[in-house]
Amino acid sequence: MSGVEVGIGLFVLMLALIALRVPVGLGMLIAGMIGYAALNGWYPLINYLKTAPYYRFSTYELSVIPLFLLMGQFATKAGLSRALFETANHFLGHMRGGVAMAAVGGCGAFGAICGSSLATAATMGQVALPEMRRYGYSGALATGSLAAGGTLGILIPPSVVLVIYAILTEQSIGTMFVAAVIPGILAALGYMLAIAIHVRRHPDAGPAAPRQALSRASLLNALAVGVIFVLVIGGIYTGRFTPTEGAAVGAFLTAVMAFVAGRMRAKGLIECLLGAASQSAMIFLILFGAEVFNAALALSRMPQEAAAAVAASGWSPMLVLAAMLLLYLAFGCVMDSLSMILLTIPIFFPVISALDFGMGPEETAIWFGVLALIVVEVGLITPPVGLNVFIINGLAPDIPITQTYRGVLPFLASDIVRVVLLVAFPAITLALPRLLQ
Amino acid sequence: MFGRILTQVCRVLALAGGAVLLGIVGLTVVSIALRELTGQPIPGDYELVEVGCAVAVFAFLPYCQLSGGNVFVGFATAWAPGWLQGLLDATAQVAYAGIAALLAWRLTLGGMDLHTYGETTMVLGMPVWPAFLPIVPSLALLSVACLYTAAVSLRKGPA
Repeated sequence: MSGVEVGIGLFVLMLALIALRVPVGLGMLIAGMIGYAALNGWYPLINYLKTAPYYRFSTYELSVIPLFLLMGQFATKAGLSRALFETANHFLGHMRGGVAMAAVGGCGAFGAICGSSLATAATMGQVALPEMRRYGYSGALATGSLAAGGTLGILIPPSVVLVIYAILTEQSIGTMFVAAVIPGILAALGYMLAIAIHVRRHPDAGPAAPRQALSRASLLNALAVGVIFVLVIGGIYTGRFTPTEGAAVGAFLTAVMAFVAGRMRAKGLIECLLGAASQSAMIFLILFGAEVFNAALALSRMPQEAAAAVAASGWSPMLVLAAMLLLYLAFGCVMDSLSMILLTIPIFFPVISALDFGMGPEETAIWFGVLALIVVEVGLITPPVGLNVFIINGLAPDIPITQTYRGVLPFLASDIVRVVLLVAFPAITLALPRLLQ
Repeated sequence: MFGRILTQVCRVLALAGGAVLLGIVGLTVVSIALRELTGQPIPGDYELVEVGCAVAVFAFLPYCQLSGGNVFVGFATAWAPGWLQGLLDATAQVAYAGIAALLAWRLTLGGMDLHTYGETTMVLGMPVWPAFLPIVPSLALLSVACLYTAAVSLRKGPA
């Protein structure tokens, strides 16, 4: 059997396990262990397991992940989502569709201190959904804008998926973060534009609300979020902090804010720790499963053979890129974004690196990483498994889920336009890293 | 009764891991402050972060399993009756229990190897093997938690 055949066999096995309700990380781990034992023998496998799990969990680079998750927990506990929403709503709420735009803006701002889309959708949903219902927004627009806005949590740095991409491809985490800023802001603006177009065609979907007052406390909290973002991301980018140190500083500052807000006594702290514990364990199980799976895949030599086959096929680079992005969109309908990045980058990245897109290898890596991040995130709002849609729907049980999926359509259109723009003009992504260099 | 005690033990272990995480935050912030003020960070701070991170994450695993925190894909089996979904869940959980037990066994041997060879960290020269002392029981507890969730899945159907 050729390496490609073995590799495809491993993928089929893993996907079959996942379809049969095996947790994603465990499915990768089981398929990887079987592949490793089949290709290299049982004894090397159990020998590998003597210390590999420890060394996988104790790398300095990965320690940034539980810390960013903890920071997101503290930021949620501090009630910053309400402050950010109220600030955005003060400036946008009186326009037609403005409360939905404020929800998107609030999501984007919350995403600047939280690396998780699900957490962003959940926390902003709790704050913004009642407001939109109060002013008579349609169920489709209210839930659709929040489900889509939630994806900004991971598009705008800090972002767990970008951290993993940077580690897998040996890029600087700080540079990846900075490169994601402009595409992230574009995403927020694109979503607001989608809302504006939608309410133009359906004026009763998002009637104008009275102008909202802005409390001093909300404005100060919103400004504090900006300061923390610049400190953490700027510190990481300039090399003043390592990413882990940046995350620790961010966790510390958000913890202080939660404490000052009076929301974090013993009970609140326990909730934050358990929340971060559960999320970290889930992610590290996936990381370890992917590590073993990719070790088996490397033994099969599939990644190298696939890269060589694509290079020899004579396909144009843009065609290969388009095929990959479409594959992400398709798999994103059923798989979570982190698993997809972990499973595909070891195969896709050598292929992309071997192709000529008219820029240097590092810039190609940054550009491709941001594109991949965007398309895997689209999976959070597409049927049948749109996790953000599920979360928002859980907050608004009276709105049928089909309406939420319909409400998401304008945002999907906005996503597609943005991806096409970013593919056509790599300079949009690369401008900020180039400028700051 | 057994379920209540198990849940409590997993929660306490996760909170202990959380305390380690808070320790990492404190250590790192103090180290940065010292580095900025005196030019001297806490020696070996990166190593302590690495060890602490591993110990914490292993301590989180049983709680995550017990509280249903692991992502799985349900839509391919949405057509199946509840008892079949529960059976599939239980099968996966038993497999996870087996893997956790396998890892507990292998890491015990791995830790003993590190002890025998006197493996130490680079800066502080700390022995590596003591990190395995909380990790191996965490994995053993994970195995028990998986078996317990498997029994619950069989009795009650899918989560």
